[in-house]
Amino acid sequence: MEYLAHYGPSLCVKFHGDLVYAANGPFLHCYNYHTGELKRRCRIFHRNKIHGICIGKDGGLLLYGGNSVLIADLQDVNERTCLMEREKSVNGWIISGEFSYSGDQVYLLTSYNKVIICDKFGRFMMNKSLREEKSILYSGSITVYSQDKVYINAGTVMGGILLWDLYAEKMVHNLKGHEGSIFFVTESADGRYVASCSDDRSIRLWDLRTGELLSVGWGHTARIWNLKFFDSGNRIVSVSEDCTCRVWEICQRGNNIDLIQQNIYEVHLTKNVWGVDVDSTGRKVVTTGNDGRIKITNLGDQLGTEEEQKCYTVEEIFDRTNVPLEKGEIIKGFEWFDFGLVAITSTGKIFLLSSTKDSWIYLTKNDKFSSYSITHGVPDENVIVFANNRGDLLLLKFSDDGERIVAKTEYHCSNLSKTTNCLIRKDSSSALLVLLESPNPRDHLVCLKFSLSTLTHLDTYHFTKPANFVSTCIDVHQNFLLIGSRFSTLAVYDLTATASMPYVIRNLNPGDTTTSIKHVEDQGSSSLFSVTNRDGYYNIIKVNLTQDASHRIIHSNKIVRGFLEGADFDDRGDFITFGFKSSLFYVYNETACYEVFSHICGGAHRQWKLSQDSKSYTLVYIKASDIYIKRFKKAATRETLFAGIHGREIRDITVQKHRKFNDGFLFCTASEDTTMKLMHIEPKSGRLTNYWTQRKHVSGLQRCQFINETLMISCSAREELFLWEIDAQAECSRPYMTLRQTLPTSSGNPDLRIMDFDVKFDSKGENFIMATVYSDSAIKLWLYNHKENSFSLILSGHYKTCCLLNVLLEVLRDQLYLITSPTDGHLVYYNISNQIPFKIDVDDNSLTFGDLKLCESELPEFDCKLQVHQSGIKTIDSVMKTNGDLVIFTGGDDNALGITVASVNKSTAKICARVADFQEKAAASTITSCNLICNATKLLTTSVDQTLRLWSVTEEKLVLIDSSYTTIADTGSSDCVSIDESTNLALVGGVGLSVVQLS
Amino acid sequence: MGKSSKDKRDLYYRKAKEQGYRARSAFKLLQLNDEFHFLDDPSLKRVVDLCAAPGSWSQVLSRKLFQDERATADRKIVAVDLQTMSPIDHVTTLQADITHPRTLARILELFGDQKADFVCSDGAPDVTGLHDLDEYVQQQLIMSALQLAACILKPGGTFVAKIFRGRDIDMLYSQMGYLFDRVTCAKPRSSRGTSLEAFIVCQQYNPPSGWQPRLDLDQSVQEFFQGCFRGSDSPDVGPWHETPRDIAPFMACGSLDSFDSDATYHGQDLQGDSDVPRRSLDPVQQPTNPPYKQALELKRKGKLTRAV
Ligand SMILES: C[S@@+](CC[C@H](N)C(=O)[O-])C[C@H]1O[C@@H](n2cnc3c(N)ncnc32)[C@H](O)[C@@H]1O
Repeated sequence: MEYLAHYGPSLCVKFHGDLVYAANGPFLHCYNYHTGELKRRCRIFHRNKIHGICIGKDGGLLLYGGNSVLIADLQDVNERTCLMEREKSVNGWIISGEFSYSGDQVYLLTSYNKVIICDKFGRFMMNKSLREEKSILYSGSITVYSQDKVYINAGTVMGGILLWDLYAEKMVHNLKGHEGSIFFVTESADGRYVASCSDDRSIRLWDLRTGELLSVGWGHTARIWNLKFFDSGNRIVSVSEDCTCRVWEICQRGNNIDLIQQNIYEVHLTKNVWGVDVDSTGRKVVTTGNDGRIKITNLGDQLGTEEEQKCYTVEEIFDRTNVPLEKGEIIKGFEWFDFGLVAITSTGKIFLLSSTKDSWIYLTKNDKFSSYSITHGVPDENVIVFANNRGDLLLLKFSDDGERIVAKTEYHCSNLSKTTNCLIRKDSSSALLVLLESPNPRDHLVCLKFSLSTLTHLDTYHFTKPANFVSTCIDVHQNFLLIGSRFSTLAVYDLTATASMPYVIRNLNPGDTTTSIKHVEDQGSSSLFSVTNRDGYYNIIKVNLTQDASHRIIHSNKIVRGFLEGADFDDRGDFITFGFKSSLFYVYNETACYEVFSHICGGAHRQWKLSQDSKSYTLVYIKASDIYIKRFKKAATRETLFAGIHGREIRDITVQKHRKFNDGFLFCTASEDTTMKLMHIEPKSGRLTNYWTQRKHVSGLQRCQFINETLMISCSAREELFLWEIDAQAECSRPYMTLRQTLPTSSGNPDLRIMDFDVKFDSKGENFIMATVYSDSAIKLWLYNHKENSFSLILSGHYKTCCLLNVLLEVLRDQLYLITSPTDGHLVYYNISNQIPFKIDVDDNSLTFGDLKLCESELPEFDCKLQVHQSGIKTIDSVMKTNGDLVIFTGGDDNALGITVASVNKSTAKICARVADFQEKAAASTITSCNLICNATKLLTTSVDQTLRLWSVTEEKLVLIDSSYTTIADTGSSDCVSIDESTNLALVGGVGLSVVQLS
Repeated sequence: MGKSSKDKRDLYYRKAKEQGYRARSAFKLLQLNDEFHFLDDPSLKRVVDLCAAPGSWSQVLSRKLFQDERATADRKIVAVDLQTMSPIDHVTTLQADITHPRTLARILELFGDQKADFVCSDGAPDVTGLHDLDEYVQQQLIMSALQLAACILKPGGTFVAKIFRGRDIDMLYSQMGYLFDRVTCAKPRSSRGTSLEAFIVCQQYNPPSGWQPRLDLDQSVQEFFQGCFRGSDSPDVGPWHETPRDIAPFMACGSLDSFDSDATYHGQDLQGDSDVPRRSLDPVQQPTNPPYKQALELKRKGKLTRAV
């Protein structure tokens, strides 16, 4: 077994020049944060995770975690990929470590409030402690002021903070006031302050000299794990279980010192941010969390300084341009350009703001656009379009610097008596399409074409408007115009055949208003478009625009929360969404799952526009009739050095073994955090790419499994079971996945879990039967009809009242069996052949379903029941022997591994089962997963004791041949795929994910 | 930990209320006893219940030890927890941290020079989510309990403690093996199969002959056990080495017909069960006073919003 890669909780992180050192389990990773390149990866410890990193003045490196410590030089990490042989063990859990002032000694604070002092080679020198204060610590820190002044801060469970002088071994202060265990405590480098946090979720600032409490900072909504002073001890950054990182300012007003929360950043996925560091300029924060993400947040760019945010009142604009303001006159519309802003008022006055000069200019007044106007622009062409409700249009084109108007067109569309909507889009030939819509459902949609260089009118198209259609957004691709509407509807028009009826797609998702349509890429003769809906749904649809137009939804998902106003793929292929949530406007990276920025603007009900160029986003909006311009610089460096995986336990993993994608494999993870991720693994390096995070489940997942080349099933509590279709075409930049069908539920009980499922396809590989087992002991059998896309129940019953953990559907000697494992440790066999009409092909054991009259039948009595384990069977795998016997491998909560052989007794036609092998102490804890590999000659098991074990299977006996410790806690799932004759790749999940090569 | 509606549907929760226990945990001890019968020994007189709040184990102990009101001379139950506990008949309660050596000294004082027959600990620290740290703290809690057991147990006595079967559990099994003749990992059916929780049942207290347990207020637990376990007398800093590990036999406790704590029971299941009352039940445990009470209060008032 060889570890190719590991992804999981990262507990600490450090900036050093252009580099970021981040812990990753027992490995130390080193990134260049400008390029995002992973420069080094070095194994540090045998078993322990790295909990702390210190870099000494002269390049000394101190790493610690658990009872392990390693003292080395940064140079060693550059030259070596493994430093494990230099690992030292300490008597106790190391809470904190630090280099001495001269750098030639190391202090280690252990969990019983004892400091071990050793030299650079890890040789013990002496112990220091505080008399009779040896109860357990959750946190602590060491501050080195000089060669002989060293302060220890020890965070206890019940006794507050013990601040003591190391060499004097005397208490300096016992800081009391927090409720609950102290989770972090630190001193500012200048010796002014102590900052601490505890289970009470507050941050407390203390005067180090007097021990007096100065201020209490509230804000975090869960426990705080780490604090760091920066900006010469004038600011503090905190990270928490609530997934945020917050910046606090220490404000001195007279004699009062206050801790003021300055900014909040959502940085990690549920839940826990562990590590934090600030770079030497105080402008960048790096955080690491349980999701394994290494996130860089730019503080400097979001501070809301003058250059970043501007606000103009209407009065100010009129004042500055010396134009008299009419009573009740307000801004009605605007568009942002490189040179600045163009805005129109409610009396039809048009103003221009030059962003470089910060000056307003009055351009013109057009009475046609008073009282009602719609404004749109094409920023990269410097073109703005105003429309009113009587079919009038005013088009203006500006010079690049905004100084001159280079083209101007006024146009009246006489075909429509009233126009209530106007949408515009630049097409591929650099012409501008303007869509006008009247409120009358019988009126045509009118589309006008203008030259973008001269603004001359080129063409007019008339389109029939579908029923129930209110246009909301448009896109143009080749000669097709796609118009989005309310009622989650979309119409596709051919600009070359305007007389033909549109191709209409209705009920794309459960939402209402379609907010954006964007061409994504082409796939053969089809085109892919992303479509967003204000209610949070987004889809990718594949539209074939040839003669017989057709479409398919190939991707469906929903954002975390809030309103979705639009989305697009960026240069790196990441899907970027934006919209509103409560009082915030947000831009979110949906692929990597992090917030790019958010801004408090007051909420969704306002005029706003987002525009972007390669360097920045500009959000312009109106709040209380004032106009606000907020610019966010796009990060010049990478925002994530590693995007991370799930922040909570991965409960199941399934690899698409039927076919490869992009020289690797697609796989799916099902997590306790209620999401699933569709990812890709590159088998040589173990490198992961995350494509999508699916949020359809509302409860923590139990299982997921690919059932053929394109379909996958996932299940969880609330009786949720979803059938997914994965569209993975080699010519596409990424795979897509959409929900195909949902299994009917029987009750509203939120605790009712579908624990497992198994399927058997018919011989055509289209329809399948599926067994599901439940936490209330229910057993059900379903038929999935491919053509009708429907699940129908064909059989149901109960085992007893205990929870069922696994299920298998197997054909044994022309009989169909359902085998389940309850929490009572038995394997229970049901012969269901008589309950469902089917034929079994004796050659390949495949099924042909008869004319299934979908009668619901009762589960028959079980054929056989055999106790294999003392308690729950957690995992099961099986193989059919050539003689027709079924060999079942089971791993239990009782630490044991069993082999059961089941065969059909020829005379009684009943199942006979026997336990062929039983390894009582197969692991030190629950065995959570097992996978047969190498033609069922080997079995890989995982256990919560964090050990992977490889067993050989010969003559129905198990022999342990290899075992390897994994840093993944709650080790709960695995899947294997063979990459060549002799090599298998195992993906092991729990709190994190490991990629192991088995040869 | 707050009580979710899931807990309320839990049959053990209902049964606890029915039988007057303060927590569903009572059934864990009862089911362990079904298998090991350590509480059925008529000579059982003096017991210590560590990490005892809200007190359902103490209730079980009190009922077992004092069921026969006549023969109660020199019987004693001492219960210790960080949290306050409302009084239980025949139980002396102490509010203290069991990882603090001073607490152990106070318990020893309560017993005078008498030995105890049985020491148990159902303790669980606050979980941080850092699995290795949580498991370490849990093991330290067990070591503190074991330290007391070592000082107070009569030879042949029994020690029972809650464990989490994580990565270093085999190390703990091995250490227990130095002090007891029989060490078993037991899982009562009332403990959820999805949780790592189990109980280590150590029978026949029999410490190494050369080792004298001696409580010293200035010593940490680790120092206390130096010379007792092999490998525990390691220097403060030394080369990395594997620690001895051992897998204890596993024992599922409670009969197969007892309620399954992983199962989902519906309304009709409950009505069919005469044991379970149909009316709604008051919470079994008293509401606790969490350290983050003030934070919750601020949140409720909308003072912890994202707006800054
Ligand atoms: C699961 S509860 C015990 C339930 C108890 N056996 C019953 O049946 O009611 C765990 C208890 O351990 C206590 N505990 C945790 N750490 C402790 C410590 N260091 N000292 C004393 N008690 C502790 C907690 O306060 C909590 O009440």
